[in-house]
Amino acid sequence: MMSRNFTPEQALIDKLPFGDATALEELSRRYGYSLYSYCLAKLNSHEDAKRIVRNIFISLWENRDRLPADFSLSIHLYTEVRKAVVQCINSKLKTSVNIPAIEKQIIPGFSIGALQQARQPVNTQKSLYPFSASKKRNYEEQWWNRFIPAISMKGLKHGLKSMLNFW
Amino acid sequence: MTTEVLKAKTGRYLRGESVPAETRQIQTWLSCIVDNKEALPQKEKEKIENEIVAEIQAYIEYTQIDPKPRYWWQKITALF
Repeated sequence: MMSRNFTPEQALIDKLPFGDATALEELSRRYGYSLYSYCLAKLNSHEDAKRIVRNIFISLWENRDRLPADFSLSIHLYTEVRKAVVQCINSKLKTSVNIPAIEKQIIPGFSIGALQQARQPVNTQKSLYPFSASKKRNYEEQWWNRFIPAISMKGLKHGLKSMLNFW
Repeated sequence: MTTEVLKAKTGRYLRGESVPAETRQIQTWLSCIVDNKEALPQKEKEKIENEIVAEIQAYIEYTQIDPKPRYWWQKITALF
């Protein structure tokens, strides 16, 4: 999600103790949707996801006077959202709200097979280009490579050799 | 796993009384994101983002109309 301005995060955090509501608004625009989508993936409930994100930012606003000197917003949000998700499940189980939905949607996530997916390495897509992703940008900037993206020097040499053999 | 077991495990986790295996299990579950859902269109994302921001703004505006009393030491520490 695009942010509205390019103010550094630390500058926005520094404005919070002075009661700058626009700084909190900007931070919530930067992180709100990603926190929401995480909660939604875990809880399968739009209302709960929105409530958790809102409460996290409200608690940040409430505690703006007590932020430590080495405060890291991303670590704070990461910790808070994980805690809030577990709290939400626990409170639902305590009040017996939506038990069938929890059995259907959340409990299968605790199976051994589902948890082993967290330990799997991230699948890397096989690249079309014969070199690393860091060099790919430079490669694409050269206009002629846009027309012949899959031809490598090795392939070109092989093609010329086979043409010469044919003649 | 049954709901009763999950309730007991999450309860112990929140109280900080869970055994290391339970902690690992819950933390692995929290870290495991299987993204099977299709990405929402940009307009939907913006709508959700605006809803969240509007709720936060409403709360902040309410607290500015009816502010909680701030002690003198809170005002001073805020300067640092």
